[in-house]
Amino acid sequence: MTRHRTHALIIAAVLAIAGAAAIAIGHHDEPAAEPPLTAPPAAPSSAPATKVGHDVLTRGKLLPASVPTRVRIPALDVDEAITGLGQEPDGSMQVPTDARTVGWYTKAPTPGSLGPAVLAGHVNFHGADGTFARLSALHNGDRVEITRQDGITAVFAVTRVDRYAKNQFPAGAVYGAIDHAGLRLITCGGYFDRRSGHYVDNIVAYAELRGTE
Amino acid sequence: MRFPRTLLTVPVAAALLLATPTAALADESVHVKLLELNNSGASGNATLTALDNGDLKISIRSTGLVPNSSHAQHLHGSATGMDFHCPDMSADTNGNGYVSTEEGMPVYGDIFVSLTTKGDTSKASGLAVDRMPIADAKGNLSYDRTIASADLPKGTVEHLKDLHIVEHGVDANSNDKYDLDGLGESTLAKSAGLSGIPEEATDPATCGMVSGAAVGSVPVGGVATGDGSTRDRAAAWYGAGGLALLAALGIVVVTRRRSYVLSRAQR
Repeated sequence: MTRHRTHALIIAAVLAIAGAAAIAIGHHDEPAAEPPLTAPPAAPSSAPATKVGHDVLTRGKLLPASVPTRVRIPALDVDEAITGLGQEPDGSMQVPTDARTVGWYTKAPTPGSLGPAVLAGHVNFHGADGTFARLSALHNGDRVEITRQDGITAVFAVTRVDRYAKNQFPAGAVYGAIDHAGLRLITCGGYFDRRSGHYVDNIVAYAELRGTE
Repeated sequence: MRFPRTLLTVPVAAALLLATPTAALADESVHVKLLELNNSGASGNATLTALDNGDLKISIRSTGLVPNSSHAQHLHGSATGMDFHCPDMSADTNGNGYVSTEEGMPVYGDIFVSLTTKGDTSKASGLAVDRMPIADAKGNLSYDRTIASADLPKGTVEHLKDLHIVEHGVDANSNDKYDLDGLGESTLAKSAGLSGIPEEATDPATCGMVSGAAVGSVPVGGVATGDGSTRDRAAAWYGAGGLALLAALGIVVVTRRRSYVLSRAQR
């Protein structure tokens, strides 16, 4: 009798430990908390056209154009290769063909030169968490380092992280003219629409060039 | 299981290698702010867009120019990395109160592309006033042209952000036209073999500097960066964990009750 009881209790203990472990894994796997749906930043104001004799109307350090090859985001333990992204026939942006690789949109400035450079990565893809799975967990000031073909590493700092409905994507704020070397990191978020097979929102992290290494 | 997966990895890796960004230049749209020069009262905005095929699309909107008059306009600078910028009045070396084109050139560089409305766009067309845009009766000027890559000097697209736009034509004696009474005869035109051209027609009215840059070809809509394939994983783990805990609790309860009942019966 006692032996039978001991066995039962051991099984119960194993189940309890396994259950607790499963819940811990579940907690770890939980998608990163997302910012609320946000209004895009106001259109960047360009310098007033009042004075003459200016040397520059732009802000901050600017690098010459050079294609990006690798992205590092220490806060997210991200260190991945970069591929090029064009447009699909319907005019939307291409996306990487695997969960890990990050894509650089080639119809935009290169990271570190004047204007918004655009990187896109999956939040998840084909059963694996994507490189940008925790993009929404970035904080202002977090570093994003982009290695370029010319050997220069452009170091950016995150300035804001927003969530937008895809059907109201703020193209002006994300892709429009800016007076500095900027970076936009894009992934998916929000509600997942099973019927369309797509998330309804995009997470966009904005960053500005702070220096080089 | 493992073998076919490895087989799959090879073409995927190859495709990735092929897709790695090459030295091809990024499409981008460079924004230029045209600032008043020589107290002309004129200003404007311009956009230079490098197109997929290497052509350059130029769009200029200016206001406050001499009405009903043609305004010579050029891209100034060079593709050799020289650091040109827009001049201030200190460039007026002869002290006549106006920075002439010759006085401005050391600051903003030589003519790189002539922004004519049709035909040749080389430096040789710099004073081709018959092919330069004309401001309307209110002094507004609107210019749109796409210059084929073959007609652009080497390095134009690569150095878009190093170039300056200069629009010429001022009205020193405020009579809404170019005349010799304003500033006399143009020394620039004269040295080019054209006599009787007023200096007013060739002195710069605005100088444009790069003020920003944008994505060259804006993608449609949002970005499809996720297929939801791991989004329910946490819930699955929570479910399994919860079931396991319930089962453990059940076993404990059943075992204890049974032993309780048994021990009581034994008494």
